[in-house]
This record gives sequence, C-alpha cells and structure tokens, in this order.
Amino acid sequence: MVDNSHNQELEDLREAARPCFQCGICASSCPVFRVAPEMNPRMSVDSIITDGQVPAEGNEWLCAYCLMCEERCPMGVSLTEILMGIRNISSKEGKAPPDFVESAEALLARGCLSPTSNRSVKKRVDLGLPDLPQPDPEHVKLIFEVTGAYEVLEANRVAVKEEAE
Amino acid sequence: MTTRDPKDSSSESTKVEVVSTAPELRIGVFPCKCGKNIGAVVDIDSLAEYAKTLPGVVFVQVNRYTCADPGQREIEDAIKEHRLNRVIVASCSPTMHEDTFRKAVKAAGLNPYLCIMANIREHVSWVHRDDPDAATDKAKNLVAMAVARAATLEAQKEQDVPVTQAALVVGAGVAGMQAALDLADAGFKVYLVEREATIGGIMALLDKVFPQNDCSICILGPKMVDVAKHPNINLITMAEVETIAGYVGNFDVRVKQRARYVDFEKCTSCGDCVEVCPVDVPSRTDQSLTWQKAIQIPFPQAVPSSYFIDPKSCLGMDLIRCGKCIDRCEQEAIVSSDTDHYIDFEVGVIILATGFKPASPEKIPRLGWGRYPNVITSLEFERLINAAGPTEGNLVRPSDLTKPTSVAIAQCVGSRNIDTRSGCSNFCCAESVKCALLIKEHYPDTEVTIYYQDLRMHGKYFEDQYLKAREEGVKFIRGRVGEIQQYPKTKNLRVSVEDTTHNKLQLLEYDMVILSMGAEGQSGNFPLPISCTADSFYIESHPKLRPVDTSSAGVFICGGAESPKDIRDSVIQASAAAGRASIILQKGRYPIEALSARIMQDKCNRCGTCVKRCPYGAISEDGTGKFTVMGALCQACGTCAGDCPPDAIYMPNFTSEQIEAQIEIALAERPEEKIVAFACAFCSYRGSDLAGISRMQYPANARVVRSMCSGRYSTKFAQKAFELGAGAVLYSGCHLQTDCHFQTGNHWMVKREPRIRSWMKRNNIDDERFRVEWVSAGEGKKWQTIMSEMSEVTERHKKSQPKLKKPIAKPKVKSKPKAKPKSKTATKLKKTKSKSNSTKKNATTKKKTTGRK
Amino acid sequence: MKYAFFPGCTMANRLQFAEKSVRMIVPEFGVELVDLAFTCCPEPNAVRSLSEDTWVTFAARNIALAEAENLDILTACAGCHESLTLAKHELDTKPERKEKANEILKGMGLEYKGTSSIIHVHQLLFDEIGVETISAKVVRPLPIKVVTHSGCHLLRPQKILQVDDAEVPVKLDMLCEALGMDPLEYMDKVMCCGAGVRKTDSDTSYAVLKEKMTSMVMVEPDAIVVFCPTCFITFESGQRITNRLFKTEFKLPVFYYTELLAIAMGLPDTDALLADHRVKIELPEFSDTKKEDSESIPT
Ligand SMILES: Cc1cc2nc3c(=O)[nH]c(=O)nc-3n(C[C@H](O)[C@H](O)[C@H](O)COP(=O)(O)OP(=O)(O)OC[C@H]3O[C@@H](n4cnc5c(N)ncnc54)[C@H](O)[C@@H]3O)c2cc1C
Ligand code: SF4
Ligand code: SF4
Ligand code: SF4
Ligand code: SF4
Repeated sequence: MVDNSHNQELEDLREAARPCFQCGICASSCPVFRVAPEMNPRMSVDSIITDGQVPAEGNEWLCAYCLMCEERCPMGVSLTEILMGIRNISSKEGKAPPDFVESAEALLARGCLSPTSNRSVKKRVDLGLPDLPQPDPEHVKLIFEVTGAYEVLEANRVAVKEEAE
Repeated sequence: MTTRDPKDSSSESTKVEVVSTAPELRIGVFPCKCGKNIGAVVDIDSLAEYAKTLPGVVFVQVNRYTCADPGQREIEDAIKEHRLNRVIVASCSPTMHEDTFRKAVKAAGLNPYLCIMANIREHVSWVHRDDPDAATDKAKNLVAMAVARAATLEAQKEQDVPVTQAALVVGAGVAGMQAALDLADAGFKVYLVEREATIGGIMALLDKVFPQNDCSICILGPKMVDVAKHPNINLITMAEVETIAGYVGNFDVRVKQRARYVDFEKCTSCGDCVEVCPVDVPSRTDQSLTWQKAIQIPFPQAVPSSYFIDPKSCLGMDLIRCGKCIDRCEQEAIVSSDTDHYIDFEVGVIILATGFKPASPEKIPRLGWGRYPNVITSLEFERLINAAGPTEGNLVRPSDLTKPTSVAIAQCVGSRNIDTRSGCSNFCCAESVKCALLIKEHYPDTEVTIYYQDLRMHGKYFEDQYLKAREEGVKFIRGRVGEIQQYPKTKNLRVSVEDTTHNKLQLLEYDMVILSMGAEGQSGNFPLPISCTADSFYIESHPKLRPVDTSSAGVFICGGAESPKDIRDSVIQASAAAGRASIILQKGRYPIEALSARIMQDKCNRCGTCVKRCPYGAISEDGTGKFTVMGALCQACGTCAGDCPPDAIYMPNFTSEQIEAQIEIALAERPEEKIVAFACAFCSYRGSDLAGISRMQYPANARVVRSMCSGRYSTKFAQKAFELGAGAVLYSGCHLQTDCHFQTGNHWMVKREPRIRSWMKRNNIDDERFRVEWVSAGEGKKWQTIMSEMSEVTERHKKSQPKLKKPIAKPKVKSKPKAKPKSKTATKLKKTKSKSNSTKKNATTKKKTTGRK
Repeated sequence: MKYAFFPGCTMANRLQFAEKSVRMIVPEFGVELVDLAFTCCPEPNAVRSLSEDTWVTFAARNIALAEAENLDILTACAGCHESLTLAKHELDTKPERKEKANEILKGMGLEYKGTSSIIHVHQLLFDEIGVETISAKVVRPLPIKVVTHSGCHLLRPQKILQVDDAEVPVKLDMLCEALGMDPLEYMDKVMCCGAGVRKTDSDTSYAVLKEKMTSMVMVEPDAIVVFCPTCFITFESGQRITNRLFKTEFKLPVFYYTELLAIAMGLPDTDALLADHRVKIELPEFSDTKKEDSESIPT
C-alpha cells in the first residue's frame, strides 16, 4: 500500500472534497440514500476529508450516477467525480463489482456492452434497420492496453479467484 | 467632473518646477547618537565628517538625542543661522519621528516637506551590531542617498479645502433615517434621497422585530415622522442620485425626482381616489400577495403621507382615457401635468445607506417557490402575519386560505451557496426563530420545524429567543433542505432533508414552508467609484479600524449597504457614520494630501493607462485627450507613475529622478554586493523597522528605498539597479489580496514581475537576483530571513563574477546615457560620487585606526 | 442536415423499435443519418468506474470518427449523450488529456480535434426543429395524459449539457403538448429511475424505481414518455419486477418520444413499433382520434 500514485489520487480527491461544509443537501437529494440508508454521499465525502481514506464500506458502488447531488451542492463539490475517483482506486485494488467487470469484458470482446444475440439481429432485419458498421477489434485492444484497463481487469479477475478460494 | 480643484495641474505650466525657490542648496545634516542606540555601533563622528564632504551640505551637527527638546531647538537655530533650506536627520526610522522633525523645521519657517530622514538606527545600528565597520559604511551610504534625494525635494503647500456644511444621505431605510436625524440634530443641513414613495425601507414592512419581538412600525413610525418634520432635513422621495462631481467638502449633486402626480401638501390621504381607480396591480408592499390601485399609498403610516400615481399602470390622467381620480379628489391634489425633474445641490459629505434586497428565491428552483403556492419567503410571511397585511394578520396557506397546521422553515436560502451568495446573511437565523415564535404565539397547536445548517444566534438577547422557541416546542433539525415537492392533490409540501445529526433522511409533509431568505447586495450602481465586494456590498476603508469610511474621503457607508445585518447593527453603524461625517462638517475645512501626482503634459502620450491604475478615480480625461489628476482625490500612492509608459507622472518627493538618484548612490561602490530593497511605507518598511526594533541581525549590504506604496515601483527601477550592477533587487509590498493601504497598488506591482523577469532573461541576469515579497508590518522575522537569503544570492553572484581588482562603478555610470546628464541632479550626483569614493576610503581607514584605540 | 448517428449499444440491441422510430421521423424534417463504426460510448457508469483513462479514450475515438467525416453526432440515448459530452468537455478543457488521447488515436490513424458537436434527438427536435414545426406536421393528435421523464443524463450537469433546466425541465413536456398530449406535473420529476445501480444492487435499483413510479401514478397518467432506451427498459420491464418485489401494481405503458411522434405524424407501419411493447396501451382513442382530427384539421 505504499503506491505513490494511489496517494496522489487520494490527495486529489481530498482537494476536490475540501469545500464541503456538511450541509446534507447531497444526501437529501440522493435517490439511493432514500431507499438504502447506508449509501450517504455526504458521509463518503466526509470520510475523504476527515479520515483521509476511501470509505471502507464500499458504498461508492451503490451510486446510481444520477448527478443529483452534484447539481445541487451549494459548494460546487463534484461528488460524482469524487465517487468515481474512489471507484477507480477500489478497482485497482480488485474490488470492482463482478457486473462492472463483465461489462468491461464485453467492451473488450465486442466493443459493445449489450450482447448481440441472434434474436436481436433478427429484430433489426425485421424492422428494416441497417447493419451497423463494426469497430476494428484492434482499436479496442489498443485502448485497453495503453490506458491500463487490462491491469485493472486482471486485478479484479485475481480478486474474484481469491474470493472463490 | 468639475475642475474646481485647488491643485489642478492643468492650470499649471506643463514643466514641473523641481527645485524650491531658494537659489542655492543649503543642506543641514543632523546625525544622532540616540544615546548608545546608534552611537555604540556607528562611528557618528566619522559619519559627520563624511557628511560635510557631500555636495550641498553646508552644516553638520551631531546630537545625543536629536528628538529631545534641545535637539529640536538646535535644528531650528541652525536653519535660521545657516539659512538651511534642506534638513536631513540621520537617526531613527521616519515612521518614528519624521513628524516630529517636520514640525521643528516648520517652526523655523522652513517648509516641512524639505525635511527627510536617514534611518541609521532600525536599518543600521540595531541590525548590524556585530559589525561596526560595515554599519558605519552603510550609515554613510544612507546619508549620501538622503542627500542625493534632498537635492530635488520640493516644498509642498499643506492644503485644505473649505467644506460645504451639508450632507447627502442616500436611502431612507432605518439606517439612512438614523444618520440623517443625527446630522440634522447636530445642526447640519441634510438632503435625504429615497427611491421609493415612502421612507422606512425593509423595516416598515416587518411585523415584529427580533430580538424582543416588538412591533416594527410602532417603533419606526415616530422616527419616520421625526424625519419628515425636522427643519434641517430636506426629504426627497421617489428620487435617485443622477450624478456626483467634486470631492470631499465640495460634492455637486444632481438628483432626479420622478413625478408623483399628487401634491403631497394637499393630499390628506383620505383614500377617496382609490375607490374610483379601475386598475388593479400587484401590491409591492404586500409582496404581490394582494392587489393595489394605480393611485396608491405604500401603507397607512407612509411618509410623506400622500398618495402617488404609478404612471406605468395608470390608464391616463385625462377624462378621455380615465381621469376618475381627478374628478373625485376634493382637495384637487392630483397634478396630471407633473413631470420628472432634477434637483441640484452641494454637500460636503455623503452617507450611503441604500440597504440590501432580500435574496430572490427564483434562483433556487429546487425549493419550488413560484411553482408551489404554499412555499413562501420570510418577507411574504411578515406580510401575512402582519395585522396591516393582506390577511389582517391571519396566517393562511395561499393555495386554499386555510390555517396551516404544520410549517417548516428552511434556513440559508440564497446564502452560503457559491452560485448565489457565498456569505452568511447574518440576520436570517434570528429572523426564523422570530417567525417560529410568532406562529406559536398566534397558533400554539401549529407544529413548527426549523431546518438549519448552523444556527447562528450570535447577537445580544438572541440566545434567549432560541431557548424560548425550544420551550414553545419548535423543533430544530440540523440539515439543509435539499428539495421541496408538492403533493398534487392537497398542495401540501414534501420537504427532503438529511438530519445530519443522525445521518437519516427525512421526507416529511408540511402544510406550508417558509424560505428564510438571505440578502443580496445591490451596491455599486451609484455614480461614485466606491469599491464593492463580489456580492455587491460596499467595501469599508479598513475592516476593523475604519468600518464606516470608504476609500473615498468624505463618503461613508452604513446599514445593509455595507453587509447584511439586523436593525440594531444598522442603527449603530448609521450613528457611527453620522459621527464620522460630522467631524468633517464641524471643522469646516478638510486637509488634502499635499503630495498628489501631477501629469507632465509635454511627456504624456495620452495612453490613458493611469486612469485604470488609480484606485481613487483621481485621473480623468478632459474630453480633449488631456489627462489630469484631481489633487483632492489623489492619495499619492504613485501606482499611476509606476506604470506610466513615458514616465510622465510626477510624484512629488518620490520622483523617478529622486529614486534613481538613491539607486545610483547605493550602488556607487561594490554594487555586486548590494541589495537594493524597495519597501512600501505602510507594510514592508514597517516590517523592516520591526526587524530593527527586535534586534534581528542580518548582513549590512541592503539599501532600502522607501516609497508610499509598492504600486510606485516601476519596472525601470529594477532595470536601472541591475544596469548599475546591483547584486540583487527586492520589491516588497503589503500582502496580497487585501492588505495594500492603497487598495490595489500591490496587485499592479506584481503584474510587472513577469516583464522584469523576461528583461532579466534577455540580459542574462540570474532569476534569483530579483525577488517580489509581501512583508507586513508584523513580519520583522520575515524581513530578516529575506535579507539573509538575498545576501547569499549576492554572495553567489559575486563569486560567479569575473574578478575585478577594483570594482568601481564609476565608469559604468558615466557610460550610461540614461542617467539624465541634462538634469541638475545628475551633475550633482557625479560630484557626489567622485567625492564619496575618495572620502569613503579615507573614512574607513581612519575608522580602523581609531577603532583599535 | 446530416449527422453521424449514435444509437448506442442498448438501443441498437435491445430497443430496435425506438431506433426505428428515430430513423423514421428524421427524413421528414430533412435530416440525414450516417452510420459509423462506433464502439460503445462507453457507458459512463461501469467503464469509467474502472478507469477514467479508458473511458475518455473510447469516447475520443468515437468523436474522432465523426470528425474525420466532418459530421456532428446525433445521440439517441441519454447515457451515450452524457458520456460523449462529458468526455468532450474533459478533452476540450484539459489539454494534457487531449494530448494523451491523441497519442493513442494516432495508432489508429485518427485525431481528436474538438470540431464535432454532440446533440441528442431531444435537442434536435426542440432546439433545431422547434415545437411549432413539429406540431404543424401532426395529423393525428394523441389526447392522452402523460408523465415525462427526461432522464438524469440529459439534465445533469446542467452547466455542461444545457439540454433543459435540471430542476424544472419543461421541454419534453412541450414536445408532448405539440402532439396533443397532456403532460402532467408530478412529484420527483427529476428523480433517477434507478437504472444506475441495477448492476451492483438490483433490489436497491427497483426500490428507487418504486419511489419514482409511486409519485408518477399519483397523478393517474396514461403513459410515461422518455427519451432514453435505458430509462425505457427500466420503466417497462422494471415495473413488473417491482410489482413482484414490493407488491405494487404498476401497469404503465412507456414510450420513447419519437415513437409517439411517428404515430402523430401519421407515418406508415407504426404498428410494428408498438408490437414489442410489453405494457400495451389500451386506448381506443388512438384510432378514433385519427378520423376526428384529420377532419378537424382544415378548420
Ligand atoms: C424578512 C426580513 C425580516 C427581518 N427581520 C428583522 C428583525 O426582526 N429584526 C432586525 O433587527 N432586523 C430584521 N431584518 C433586517 C432589517 O430589515 C435590516 O437590518 C434593515 O432593514 C437594514 O436597514 P437599512 O436602512 O440599511 O436598509 P433598508 O431597510 O433596505 O433601506 C434601504 C433604503 O434605501 C433605499 N434605496 C436603495 N437604493 C437606493 C438608491 N439607489 N437611491 C435612493 N434610495 C435607495 C431603499 O428604497 C430603502 O428604502 C429583517 C430583514 C428581512 C429581509
Ligand atoms: S451538498 Fe456539497 S457541501 Fe453539502 S454536504 Fe454534500 S458535498 Fe458537502
Ligand atoms: S450521483 Fe450517486 S450519490 Fe449522487 S445523488 Fe445520484 S445516486 Fe446519489
Ligand atoms: S444567518 Fe443563519 S440562515 Fe442566514 S445565512 Fe447565516 S447561517 Fe444561514
Ligand atoms: S494612482 Fe495614486 S498617485 Fe496616482 S493619481 Fe491615483 S491616488 Fe494619486
């Protein structure tokens, strides 16, 4: 855990979180907090500022990314960027939820998240929709390679295995 | 702008006369031992001998304590006996005793501005205790610098202007009324200008006022009548100030008064006209909760107690279009021919009391005001609960006129939000507790909840109110309301808030929600350049020590125009402003800065840069392209001169010539070892003094050039110093952002830094040899650190220099055509240099021998 | 007007009839669509969570494809719109980001320049074409009561997206009015449908949906109108799951706006669009109004 880039990322998050004065407007606007009281965006920001840590509970993954909190924050705190930052850090540690990892695998395999099934292809034909040009798979691989997505994927695959054991 | 300026340079010849009337320079130098304070370190006798050799010096006298009575008398006697026309006291810091010695020379009949000081205590003996030789050398150099500057000192007339003994008060809310009454009671004529048809401001609309919750109009009404009746107050309502020209003591004011269409002398406020007027318009007083007519009176207690016609809604004051009120009015008070008109008058002082406006809830759509009828503002609440309001004091829901059984109050609406106003509005927490108590008083069964972020009950008696509210069962929940939604059928409201004490979401239903609105500034559109905060409140001259003064002499601020505040604070400020204003009015004359800038018209290239630099709006263009300084407005910071491209601005006694002369002398010998340090009079110079007072030791190679403000340091001073071989140059000013005594001088100075640095780069001068620093009057330690660090820089620089056997700057200077060979100073300077070089050598050797005794 | 059309993975593979409706109506307004070899936008939630860099680079590649053709991008999904627009904002405001992305794109013979803009069908219809032009084309007004849901990713962040007011959106309502519908005010209009947490915690996701739909049904609408395939699927399929999980009884038809537009314009073969809707609309007025209103038009 003496990874410097990690510390820098945390420091950036702290910088972004610092203006927060704990008014609670974000939480009162959050649709998830309304039904799942453990997901409190204010507390996520608070733990960054006060504890200087990524919140341990992993609630950042419960954010629906609706941007309500951020739109209303009176201090202009970009909560979704902070939550995304926390997720990026968690992902590097292999803590990404399996479904998200799956999405990334799909993107890698097909350049597309939704599965293309025979049924869906048939639907397009029936409706007279055009065949969509397909992206070059090499492009997809290149982006994964250069932006470090492979490593993040790998970290999470390993984590999944460990858990299984 | 008027040109009644007594010192207006436009009337003078374009050539500035530099040398005083005396035909010949006769300088007297008075080195002081200050007991042992100076005498124990600096060899004063050798200093005195050296001073005698300086050009223009005709008399030198050493003293034990120059500032004591005998010392001062000796100066006076010497002036008379030796016909001295310049005096240099080489002793302590000018901050300490410049005034003392100027009074002394004045007593002897010499112009006080012809006396200056060389600081050989705070800058020498106290900070170089362990190196008497270097200290003595530096003291001599400082005296030589002072002599060089003294050569071109200019006598200044100490001036004052007559003061018109009348005041303008703008805005007749409670603050403006108080200020007007105080000044009027003190016997001064007051013009009180109010935009609305009645005086009273926001307070006249309120029901009860915290913290005692007494009836607002009951305490304000009598005061309003006093204003109307006061023989010294000329009340001008429905009017705004159009233009203001002039300066402290002599402001020419033009006010535009809108047509009232009703003669208020004749109107008995019987209200007959209202019965016939066919037009309904939303009521301003009642915050559009109800209607009023085109002919109207704001409220029954209005002052002047008269109706007026709103021309925008009136159908037409003639019998063809309507004219019903004219027909009806038995007093024949309606004047359909009334027109807008101007009123001109002169005043000596101005008080701005234009208040604030309640923040607009429209900017916060998540709270639903305007879309949901049962969301109201605190001001709307005041009208609803007011017996004189649209519901005669019955609190009802606008949607169905039923009594609410549960009310939520949301704090910090329009405050503490970077999109609206980031500041706290100061009065709204107490206002909400008052609202809660009023509701409980009228309807004990109604449930009231206050949602707050930080409940700021800071004032006298406020906490009692809070306790009372708790006793009455008002609920307080910490958390700011995120959103309000309306139930479609009942028009009840759902308030979403996180109870941040318990980390729990509350989604509760209320009959009504009151938004506790903060304040929005509305200052800044007044026809005078008074600086405002980003959120449009006037900025005071000093936040602690001059809280009701502004940067413009003779203009004062009070009440909500300065910052959001409650009634009590507004009244306190109003009386303070009236008190400050009456000091000026009482004296009848106002002293003005003697050293004001002048524009040398023959050099000026008409670029207009100076206009932008001046924080006081003292420079203007006369319409023909000619720029002039209005002396009464100029505070002599010199920021204009610092950036004037052709160096066409003459700053008396801080002229470019004088500053450059000091630089030349400072660098006459071993320039590569020297630090030329520019320090502003209000912060940095005092900081350097503090280092001395605290006996903080540092190397003796710095030469401080003092000026009024760091805005004065033009780029060419640093360039000049480097051209003459200076080891290092320091530009030091008051701290950014707000410490500058002249408001923005330091901001303009720091903008020059990149230009200096790129010039240095082109000329292969190491970056580290130039520094810009902010040193406050309290930072003696910082000054010491900077001096030590910069000495290391000069050391490094010296080592990197190719070794010269005799590094004498003389040939260098000579070769510089920029040293103004034509001017008298320059010729004198050359003399100074050659002499100082030779004498100095003698002096040091002599010292060495004597020192071993 | 010619755009590079960006239907997005969800619309292309799961909501083909909505894509069809977009392709049906645009020629009526003189708009031509071009298909390019786009990847996923990529989906802002999942991919960005793993790596910010990966997300922004995929988006840069997509935009660069359109730039190479000198075309602006027309999106049909709120998620794609947000993802591409926010990535564009990053690339345009942070030069180092752009540089980094372009280094990678160079390997594909592409360059991100920042010349193409990105608009959603919502903006095309409201801002470019305009409500008046649209209502002039309506031959079959649809007098139904609807609740509109613009979608989080079309509304926020308002400062960057600038599609509509984030707190009080009105434009989709006005577009509905143009078709003769009666848009109803309801609570929680700007609340999320819950789609964003479906992958991590589906129960929470449907709990959010339940809150949202409870507020919707309070005003007794006939249907929901959306402008995003993901919102569509959440409302349409999600309400059944919600009914199962929370014993609710939601049964609200859902429409992607351009489906209704195609019907109101009287375009042929609109039945094929509705065939795949899981909650059918049972409004006899649909056929009736056609006659009534086509008669009333000349007056
Ligand atoms: C809803 C509400 C409730 C409040 N309750 C309380 C309370 O209970 N207790 C308390 O102590 N304080 C209370 N306050 C605060 C109180 O209103 C202010 O402290 C007070 O009004 C400030 O007085 P003022 O004279 O500075 O400004 P104002 O009352 O705003 O008066 C300014 C006057 O200047 C005039 N004016 C403005 N611009 C111009 C111009 N350009 N030319 C000419 N005239 C101009 C305006 O028309 C107005 O008459 C409350 C404020 C609000 C908004
Ligand atoms: S809304 Fe902003 S300031 Fe308020 S608690 Fe949330 S992050 Fe902090
Ligand atoms: S973006 Fe996430 S944290 Fe913010 S309101 Fe939406 S769901 Fe809650
Ligand atoms: S006084 Fe109270 S309500 Fe008003 S801004 Fe300050 S903290 Fe908020
Ligand atoms: S900038 Fe300073 S010196 Fe120049 S005119 Fe203004 S106040 Fe006077």
